[in-house]
Amino acid sequence: MEIRPILSALLRNKTAPLLVAIQVAISLAILTNAMYIVQLRQEASVRSSGINDEASVFHITSSRLQRKSMDDFKAVLQSEKQILRAIPGVVSVAQTSQVPMSRSGSRSSISVDRLQTLPSTTVDNYNTSDSLVKTLGLKLIAGRDFNPDDVLEYDPREQSDLRPRVVIVTKAVAKELYPNEANVIGKSMFWGTGNDSDESKIIGVVESLQTTEAESTGRFEDSVIAPLTTVRSSNTYFVRVEAGQRDRVMKEAESALTKAAGEPMIVRMDTIDNERFKRYRSDKALAWMLITVSALLMLVTASGIVGMSTLWVAQRRKQIGVRRALGARKVDILRYFITENILITTGGIVLGTMLAVGLNQLLVSQFELSKLPFQYLFFAPCVFWILGVAAVYVPALRGASISPATATRGA
Amino acid sequence: MIQYYFFLGIRSLRRNPVLTSLMVLTLAIGVAASVSTLTILHMMSTDPIPSKSDRLFVPVMDNSPLEGYVPGAPIEETQLSYPDVTNFLKADQGVRRAAVYGVQMTLEPSRPDLRVADIQGLAVSADYFAMFEVPFSQGQGWTNAEEKNAAKVVVLSQTLSEKLFGKESALGKRLRMQNNEYQVIGVLGKWNPLPRFTHLINGSGGSFKGEDEFYIPFNTAAVVEIGPSGSMWCHGPMGAGFKGILASDCTWLQFWFETATASDHTKLLNYLNAYTADQKKVGRYPRGAPNLLLNVKEWMSFLKIVRDDSKLSAWLAFGFLLLCLVNTAGLLLAKFSVRSSEVGVRRALGASRADIFMQFFIETGVIGLVGGLFGLVLSFGGLWLISRQSGEMAVLAKMDWNMLVLTFILAVSASVLAGLLPTWRACQVTPALQLKSQ
Repeated sequence: MEIRPILSALLRNKTAPLLVAIQVAISLAILTNAMYIVQLRQEASVRSSGINDEASVFHITSSRLQRKSMDDFKAVLQSEKQILRAIPGVVSVAQTSQVPMSRSGSRSSISVDRLQTLPSTTVDNYNTSDSLVKTLGLKLIAGRDFNPDDVLEYDPREQSDLRPRVVIVTKAVAKELYPNEANVIGKSMFWGTGNDSDESKIIGVVESLQTTEAESTGRFEDSVIAPLTTVRSSNTYFVRVEAGQRDRVMKEAESALTKAAGEPMIVRMDTIDNERFKRYRSDKALAWMLITVSALLMLVTASGIVGMSTLWVAQRRKQIGVRRALGARKVDILRYFITENILITTGGIVLGTMLAVGLNQLLVSQFELSKLPFQYLFFAPCVFWILGVAAVYVPALRGASISPATATRGA
Repeated sequence: MIQYYFFLGIRSLRRNPVLTSLMVLTLAIGVAASVSTLTILHMMSTDPIPSKSDRLFVPVMDNSPLEGYVPGAPIEETQLSYPDVTNFLKADQGVRRAAVYGVQMTLEPSRPDLRVADIQGLAVSADYFAMFEVPFSQGQGWTNAEEKNAAKVVVLSQTLSEKLFGKESALGKRLRMQNNEYQVIGVLGKWNPLPRFTHLINGSGGSFKGEDEFYIPFNTAAVVEIGPSGSMWCHGPMGAGFKGILASDCTWLQFWFETATASDHTKLLNYLNAYTADQKKVGRYPRGAPNLLLNVKEWMSFLKIVRDDSKLSAWLAFGFLLLCLVNTAGLLLAKFSVRSSEVGVRRALGASRADIFMQFFIETGVIGLVGGLFGLVLSFGGLWLISRQSGEMAVLAKMDWNMLVLTFILAVSASVLAGLLPTWRACQVTPALQLKSQ
């Protein structure tokens, strides 16, 4: 099959092929970038929170009207934990100051050295009087968990800021503080910078524990767990239950806490699944919108190719008839149209790949997006070649079926 | 003649049904995608208070410590500290001043059928209601004197008032919140600014949805020690208790100035600059970063209220529309080129190029009109889909008249644009050649 005659025929009548090529180019540029964004959002939404078996954990908050003294507060804390632990099906309970992916929590900047001018990173503060490692099933990859005597008590109404003596950090934080050290156990970190910043010793490293914000990129695993209890009018607990018992335990936990309180109180609770759902809802929505747009892009492009090919076949009835009369087989005609289409599509793909890279650069500069991976620029052309051939096949086949006699007679 | 071409256009829709419906559908989808995403952007960036958005100003000041200061870097601080806010309230600047912060309080209803519940509200200073033109259905806000005496008064939203007191008047009723009794002195009328610009940071429920259920005097909130329900950023150590927060440089408050004219901006900014220079003498504001004074629209863009995802969607939708236009142009070209013999005959019978142009141009317009109509219907579908994402989106995904008109203009002009090339090509037909080939 010679390409030269097809090419010269194309060049003689440029407008229509050019429009098809532009369509291919635009859809390729949008499609690659859209699919990349979909992939990023999708990956973020299924990231591990660090919690083992999320479906067996929920969190519950009890808030009271009266603000208690330190002793009262500790008594309430102990009794509420006991009430929760006594519920059948409960495996473990731990007090916590915040919940991953809940978009509400406290964060602090930390550094490796008091003298550095800018802090090393900002971390989410998970304060607990118990073992988050045990209740959340965090994977401790180095060091140890807290002992009961590590726990400090802090009443913000009486004292100014209190920092823990020891902390457990995530692997991400350890990497940011000490990028070149394999072992960070026993090393120090400072809260903020400057001479009066407090020091804490790292005693453990966990694989992961997501932040409350669960950022799409960057510091989504920068969390520090501290053995601290803070006097507040409300307490939040993580509760781990036996498999399949969660919904029942949640109901019982609410009524048990309310009944035991003997004063007006508010109980709020939610599952980790639902926190995840709420956090990534808008990302999922964007991903679906992009998938819809991409599907439509393909459809519109395919319809463009079908429309144009139908027209070309109609215009060339006579030419096809003559060729057939001179001995060309059906397959030759079919091959002609398909080759022609591949030539046009390839032109569009070359243009589209450049456009895709350009669009990606624009998106990188305007939005939080990383560079398009190389694979996308390899796969997208394949998709459009297949799409092009599929779209041209039926019209081309119809053209090839024209019998030489009818084709030459008409005009 | 134009009318005749118009009917001709409608009739020709039926001539090539597959091709035509493909064009109409493509155009409609492209228009619907761009209009529904544009509606969201439009709603996100509306001016919430057009009557005075250029006279309401938010000060943005950097009170962080000197450490880590990169001169010229953008200010990350968006809220203010309590000492600054109290100074601004006392300062004789502008015509009105309002301090704002979000509070969550526990409500103990007197009615036995209602449970204890947390409610979201705002602690605001007395000028707030007049400044933001908040409508009242009953009573009014508090006076500066009441504010100063930390009077235990409360203004309710219509929703909360109806929930607690039903149809009867709430004025004079007492409300027990967080261990204190408050007297209801006002109930708001219907008030739902979009976005909820008065407290864009930490707005209850987000920038576009949610409602402040009650308002209490700013000074009262400080006296009864209600902490902020929202973000607080602290740079240095903080003393114990709520007094420690009040005395600290932690930022957790929002502040508004209203001036008589928009040009008072300079005067007000000069005041702020003199203020920080003065504070620098006592060791505050060590950075000496330039202060900003932003009006409502500037404040909204400073806080990036229009979300990146929404912008991204709109961009992609317009890219998609462009594709649809190219597609339509291609299909029109196909449709018109099979009619070159018809053009040849008409030209030979005396029709001028302009006549041919007119005929095809109007035919294109008809396709655009039909595509636009379909696009409009599809836009409602698109907005419905978007509104299901979240409560915020449900508020934003509403078509207004401006957008409706825009849809039509967009659809018709898009198709006319797409039709220009094919129309021009159709006019190029030489009658002699066409007739000869017949």
